[in-house]
Amino acid sequence: MGLIQREIEKAGIPTVGVSIIREYSEKVQPPRTVFVKWPFGHPLGEPGNARQQRTVVLEALKALYTISTPGEIITLPFRWRRHDYSAYVEPGPLVPRGGE
Amino acid sequence: MSITSRLKNRLIAKVITRYPGLAQRFITAYEPWESGEPIPWTPPRKPLKACKLALVTTSGVHHVSQTPFDMQDSEGDPSFRVIDGATIGEDYRITHDYYDHSDAEKDLNIVLPIDRLRELQQEGVIGQLAESHYSFMGHIDGRHIATLIGTTARQVADRLRRDGVDLVLLTPA
Repeated sequence: MGLIQREIEKAGIPTVGVSIIREYSEKVQPPRTVFVKWPFGHPLGEPGNARQQRTVVLEALKALYTISTPGEIITLPFRWRRHDYSAYVEPGPLVPRGGE
Repeated sequence: MSITSRLKNRLIAKVITRYPGLAQRFITAYEPWESGEPIPWTPPRKPLKACKLALVTTSGVHHVSQTPFDMQDSEGDPSFRVIDGATIGEDYRITHDYYDHSDAEKDLNIVLPIDRLRELQQEGVIGQLAESHYSFMGHIDGRHIATLIGTTARQVADRLRRDGVDLVLLTPA
């Protein structure tokens, strides 16, 4: 996935990827990554858990705007099946660094 | 690839999804390709609420009517499928022997979060959701890596630009 991500970024479109295998992301070095230590086949979480899926999507989008070092991997603090997403605070409006 | 090795791949996929600790030896056995080139970098230019966003996945999702990914080739299938965001929720199939997709068959959003993005668009958090999204099968190896980097990934990048996409979220399996 990281190889595809690099090609899209190279073509001039900013990208962020969700990773479930940190080792691969470290080797392939896509521009921006959020990592979850979750089972294969579940990058956005569990079936039917919309709040969990939304949280991962929002964290990925936040990383797209906040990561300033190419290749950075942000580890998300969510433990598999043991996290209460009701306390999650959603990011405010996301804007390019240095304003619009 | 023989039917036996396909069944073996599927069994391994089920076991390592259930017991992630066992996945480690498969992870260390597979050496992902390293380019050695600098990391490409394009900073976002517009606020999220003004951006058009598309999804690219390597989870092997495709429409029922589309040709499934080739699971016979042990080096994978570097081709891609164009996903129609408006209909994929009601009409999808997952062709991928290398992970257990029984949960993704119950809820597509755990690999392709199309409903979550549509909600965020309706709330005005993101400007627009692209009509077309792009799907690969991942697990590309050997000779197909060059095809992926040199041809198909580039074709998808060109399509995304033609679609006027500002940001891309990538999801694996």
